[in-house]
Amino acid sequence: MSALVRMRLAGFLRTGRAVAPLLAGLITLGTLYGGGRAQPAEAYGVSAVVLFPVLAWQTKILLDVEPDVQRRLAQVTVGVARERLAGLLAAGVAALVTVAVALLFPWLVGGVSGPVDPGDRSIPVGLALGVWAHLLVVPAAVALGALASRASVGGAGFGVAVLALGGVGAVVLGLSGSVAPWLAPPIMAAARTTGGDAAALTLLGLSVWALAWSAAVVGGYLWRRRAQG
Amino acid sequence: MRLENVWLRYHRRGPWVLRGIDVRIGPGEVAIVLGRNGVGKSTLLQVAAGVLRPGQGRVSDRPERVGWVPERFPADQPFTVTRYLTGMARVAGLGRAAADEAVASWTDRLGLSAFRSVRLPELSKGTAQKVGLAQAMLRPPGLLVLDEPWEGLDAATRELVPELIAEVLAADGSVLVSDHRGETVRLPAARRWLVADGSLSEETSSTDETIAVVEVAVPAARVAGTVGRLRAEGHQVLRVRSDASTDAVAEPAAGEAR
Repeated sequence: MSALVRMRLAGFLRTGRAVAPLLAGLITLGTLYGGGRAQPAEAYGVSAVVLFPVLAWQTKILLDVEPDVQRRLAQVTVGVARERLAGLLAAGVAALVTVAVALLFPWLVGGVSGPVDPGDRSIPVGLALGVWAHLLVVPAAVALGALASRASVGGAGFGVAVLALGGVGAVVLGLSGSVAPWLAPPIMAAARTTGGDAAALTLLGLSVWALAWSAAVVGGYLWRRRAQG
Repeated sequence: MRLENVWLRYHRRGPWVLRGIDVRIGPGEVAIVLGRNGVGKSTLLQVAAGVLRPGQGRVSDRPERVGWVPERFPADQPFTVTRYLTGMARVAGLGRAAADEAVASWTDRLGLSAFRSVRLPELSKGTAQKVGLAQAMLRPPGLLVLDEPWEGLDAATRELVPELIAEVLAADGSVLVSDHRGETVRLPAARRWLVADGSLSEETSSTDETIAVVEVAVPAARVAGTVGRLRAEGHQVLRVRSDASTDAVAEPAAGEAR
C-alpha cells in the first residue's frame, strides 16, 4: 500500500497542482503574520484555523488528480479497503508537509515573539500547543477534502459546495455560543484553548472530539464511495 | 469464480444494467462477452474484476490477483511509461528488482521499449493501450479481464493478445474478454457469453468445426452492404482494408470476412 501512497503523492506533485493550495496557504499565513508579532501558542491557534480549508482543498486536489479509471485499476490491484486508505494516507502526508511549512513560516518572517509578561507561556510550551492545534486540524481537513473529492461526490460543483460548507461551517459553528458546535471540528475551540487556558483535560477532550468528527466524515466518504461504485 | 444473481444499476432509481446474472468460470477457461453497444458488457467485466460492486447478488471465489485492461487506458497521468509501470508493479506487490525485471520484460514484449521514457499523455492511443495491457500482466493474474483489448492495437500486438491469454490459461487462470470487432475468432476454444437486456446467455457451440478465414474482395462502393449482409448471415467480419494488394496496411476497423 505504501507504493500506492507514493504513486499518488508523485502524481500530485508532478502535475504541479500542489502549487495552488501551497500558494494559498503561504499567502494566508503571510497575511496572518504580516500584521505584527504574536506569541507562538496564540499565533499557531489562528494559523491552524486558516489552514483547515487550505488542507481540505489540498486533499481534494490530491485525490482528484488521479483519473477515475486509474483509481479503479488501483482498486483492482490492492483491493477496496487499501485503495481508500492509501488515498487518505497520501493526503495526510501532504497535509503534514504543509503543516510543517506553516509551523516554520512565522519564524522565518519574524511573526512570533517570546514571552513578554511573567505569566506568558514559554516558547517550547507555545510551540507544543501549536503543533497540537495543527495536528488536530489534519485528520479533519483530510476527511472533509476526501468527502468533497470527485470519487465521493461526482460533479465538481458538489465538491466545491462541500468544501465551502465545511470550511465556513467549521468557523461559524465553532464560534463561542454556537448552538451546535459538535457539528463542526473543534478548530475554533482549539484556537481559543491555545490562546487561553490549556488544561490537559481540555486538550484531550478536543482531541477526541476532532478524531470523532473526522471518523464520522471519513465514514461519510466511504459510504459515498461505496454508493458511487 | 462465480457471479451469483448479480444485479447492478448505476443510480438508485436508474434502470438495471445487469439483471440476475448467474454464471461461473473455472480455472483454465476463457469466455468472450458479446453483445451490442451499451448492453452492459463493460459493466459485467467490471463487476467480475471487482471494480463495480453488485447492487444485489455477489461475486464469489474471485482469484486474488486480478489483471484488468480497461477499454480506454487512463493516459492523462504525469508519468513516463517506465515510471508508471514500475509504480504499478510495486503497487501489485513486487519488490524493486522484480518490478524492474517485469517492466523490462513486458515493455520489450509489447514493443514499448522505444517509449520507456515517453510521458503517458504523449503516447498514441494504441501505444497507451499496450501500457494498459502491460500493467495487467506485470504480476501473472489468476483472472485476466480484457475490455476490448484489440482496440487501437497494431497487427503484431493483436496477434500477441491470444498468446497472453493462453499463458494465463496455462497457469490455471481464467480470462474474460469483450469484443465487438470479431477479433475473438482468434480464440476458438472460448466460451461465448451473450449479454442482452441485462441478461446473460451462453451460446453453446453446436459443432466442433474449425474456423476458416476467407478473404473477399469487393468494390469499395459495396463494402458497407457486403459487410452488413455477411454479418446478417452470422459471419464475423474481422476487418476491412482499403486495398487487397497492401496486406500489411490495415484500417483499424477493417478487415477480412469468414
